[in-house]
Amino acid sequence: MASTRRNSHQSHLHLAQQIAALILERGMKCGEHLPEQALSDACGVSRTPIRSALKLLESKGILEWRQEKGYFTALDTADRITAALQELENAEETLANRILLDRSERRLDEIQSVSALARRYSTARSTVLFALKVLSQEGIVTQLPGRAWAFQPMIDSPKSASESFEMRLTLEPLAISAPGFAVDPQKVGLLRSQMKDFLAVEETRTSATLFQRIDIDFHSLIAESSGNRFVRSALLTHHRLRQASKKGPTIPAFRMHQAMEEHMEILDSLDRKQYALAADQMTVHLRRSSIRRPEATNRGISPLRRGSRP
Amino acid sequence: MNTSPTIALFPEASFGAALNCVGIAQELRKQGATPVFICHPGFVGVFAEYGFAEFHLTAQPSQSTQTAEAHWEDFLNTHLPHFNLPPLAQLDTYVAPTWEAIVDTAIEVEDSLKDILAQIRPDAILLDNVIMFPAITQAGCPWVRVVSCAETELPDPAVPPYLSGLSATDAADCAAFQKAYHNAAQGAHKRYNAFRRKCGLPPLAPGIFLENSDDLNLLLAPSVVKYDRATPLDPDRFVYLEGCVRDESPFELPYFRRNSGPLVYTSFGSLGALDTELIQRLIDAYAEIDARFIVNVGGYLDSYGQVPDNVFLGDWFPQPSVVAHCDLFIHHGGNNSFCEALYHGVPSLVMPYCWDGHDNAQRAVDTIVGRRVDRAAWTPKTLRADIMALLDDRALADRLLQVSEQMQKTPGTRSAADAVMALLRHR
Repeated sequence: MASTRRNSHQSHLHLAQQIAALILERGMKCGEHLPEQALSDACGVSRTPIRSALKLLESKGILEWRQEKGYFTALDTADRITAALQELENAEETLANRILLDRSERRLDEIQSVSALARRYSTARSTVLFALKVLSQEGIVTQLPGRAWAFQPMIDSPKSASESFEMRLTLEPLAISAPGFAVDPQKVGLLRSQMKDFLAVEETRTSATLFQRIDIDFHSLIAESSGNRFVRSALLTHHRLRQASKKGPTIPAFRMHQAMEEHMEILDSLDRKQYALAADQMTVHLRRSSIRRPEATNRGISPLRRGSRP
Repeated sequence: MNTSPTIALFPEASFGAALNCVGIAQELRKQGATPVFICHPGFVGVFAEYGFAEFHLTAQPSQSTQTAEAHWEDFLNTHLPHFNLPPLAQLDTYVAPTWEAIVDTAIEVEDSLKDILAQIRPDAILLDNVIMFPAITQAGCPWVRVVSCAETELPDPAVPPYLSGLSATDAADCAAFQKAYHNAAQGAHKRYNAFRRKCGLPPLAPGIFLENSDDLNLLLAPSVVKYDRATPLDPDRFVYLEGCVRDESPFELPYFRRNSGPLVYTSFGSLGALDTELIQRLIDAYAEIDARFIVNVGGYLDSYGQVPDNVFLGDWFPQPSVVAHCDLFIHHGGNNSFCEALYHGVPSLVMPYCWDGHDNAQRAVDTIVGRRVDRAAWTPKTLRADIMALLDDRALADRLLQVSEQMQKTPGTRSAADAVMALLRHR
C-alpha cells in the first residue's frame, strides 16, 4: 500500500514537471490561466491526476488557485519557475535518488559506507541501507565484502559515453527486430504528443531537461517493448544509468530537434509494423547522436578525440 | 546577386573561431544565405549539430606513426609547464613551435581546400584563421577576413604587439617584445613565404601570416576595449562587430546543495580543461567561498571526485546562455569568452595561459572591465580576494551594464551578416 502511494505521488510529481515544462515552453507570463482540460489533453491523462499535480505546483508557489476560476501561473520568469520546480523535485525525491544525483555530480566517491552516507544525509542507517538496496536492484550499486558499497561506472567520460553508444547500437535495433516486439499504442500516443509539443517550440526556447526526459522515455519504451527479455532487462538498466548520469544540456537545440524528429520517424515505422526499417532508423539515429565534439583543440594540431571512432 | 548566396565559412581548428563562425552563420541563414562550413580534420559534426552542411579537409598523410592521443600526451607534457611562463618566455617555447605547426597545416590542406572550393563554388568565403590559405585568394569570389583573436592581431604603432600581454604605454617593453617575436617566428615565416611564392602569392612582412582582405574585414573587438590606433582602420573595409555572440539553447540552472550566493562560471576553453591539476586547486578554493560555481571541465569529468556542494561540473555548456545568468566569469582570456562576458555585462577574472589570452587579460585591466590573475602565483586567499572584489564592485557592475546595453543594441552576428550581404549586393 505504501509503495502504491509512493508511486502515485511520483506520477503526480512527474505530471507537475510536465506542466511546468509546458509553462516554460509556451513562455507563459505571470497570471495566465491553465485550463485543466487543456492540460489533461496535452498530458494524455484524466483531470483527476492533473488536479493533484496542479496542487503540488501551487504548494511551491509556481501556480495560484483562484476560487471558481482555477489555476493561474504565479511566477514571472523562467529562472524562478525552474528554481521552484527544482526545490519541489528535491523535496520529493527519495534518498536513493539523492544518492544517485550526488554520485552523478561526483560529490560521492565510488566506494561508500552506510555510516558515511547516514552522516551525510543526517538519516538512520536503516534508511540508507534501504536506499542502497533499491539502487542495488537497479544494478547501480554493488555490495562489496564487508560493509562497503561500490557504485557501478557512470556515463561520465568520453570513453564511457562511447561505450554506452556502442552497446546501444548493438542492443536497441535488436530490441526492435527480435521476435515478439510489441509496443503499447497508448504510450506511443502520449509520447508522440509530447514530441510534437517539443518540436512546436522555437529553438531559442528549447528545454534541454524536457528533451532528456522525452528521450529517456522514448528509448525506455523501445526497451520495454522488446520480445527479448535479456535485451529488455539490459537496456532498461542502462537507461536508468543514463538518466542518473545526465547532467544538463550537452547538445545544441538544432540537434535536439533533429533527434526528436528521428524519434517520431521511428514511431511512425513501428505504427506501420515496419520493424526492420525502424531498427535501421534506430541505428542511424544512434550513430548521429554518438558523434562527439573534439575534446581539445589547438592551432596546428589535430583535435583530440578519445575513445571514439570518427 | 544570387537570392540565396552560398557562403563558405572556414574557421581555424579551435572552438573559439568555430563557434564565432556559428554565430555569423546563424545570422546569415536568417538573412536568406546558405552558409556551409569547411572543416579541418577532426571537426566532424561540430557544425552539423547547429544544422549546417560540412565539407571536410583531408590532410596529406602524416609521416608520424603516433596516434592523436599520444600526440596530445606529448603536447601536454611539453607545453603545460610553458603555460606558466610570461609571454616573452613563451615565444621560443610555445609560440614558435605553434607557428611551425600552423604553417604545416596550411601546406598540408592546400590541395584538399582547392578541391572543396571547386565543389562548393561559394559566392563568398569567410576566413576566421590566423594564416592565409592560398586557395582562398584563388577561388574566384570575394573573401572576408574575420579577426576573432584580440584586436592586437592587426598591428599598429599605438597597439601593443600581438601575444605580448603588454599595455600600449609600455613602449620599451613593446619594442623588445616585437623584436623577439619576429626572431622567434622567423623560421616558420620564412618557410611560409616560400610556400606562398610557390602558390603565386606575394610574401608577407615579418611576423605577418595573414593579409587583410581588400573587400571586408570583421573585428570582434567591442568599443569598450577597442584601441585608439595611430592609423585608424578604413571603415569601408573594416567593421567592428561589438562581439559576436551566437544563439545557444537556454541554460537551466543546476541545483546546488549549498544553493546560495552569487553565481560564478569558470571555463578555460578545451585546451585549458586539460590542466586538471589547476582546475582541482580552483575547486578546492571554491569550496571555501560563499558563492555557487559552475566549472567547465571538458572531457575530464572522471578526473574529479568529492565535488563540493557549491560546485557543479560539466563537460560542455551552452556558454553564452550560462554567462547570461552569471555574476562573474573566470576564463582564460579567449576572445569569445571575453566578448561574451562584456556582452552580458559580467566582470572577467582572466587567468591567461597562452596566445591572445595574455592580451585580453591586460586589456581587461587597462579598460577596467575585470582583473588579471597569474595562473602560477595565486593562493586560495588571493583568489578569494579577487573574486569578492569583482563581485562587490557596484561601480564596475554599473559600467558593465552600460557596455552590455550598447553591445546588445547592435549584435555583432547581425552586423557581420549585414556587412557580408552588403558586400555581395554591391558586386
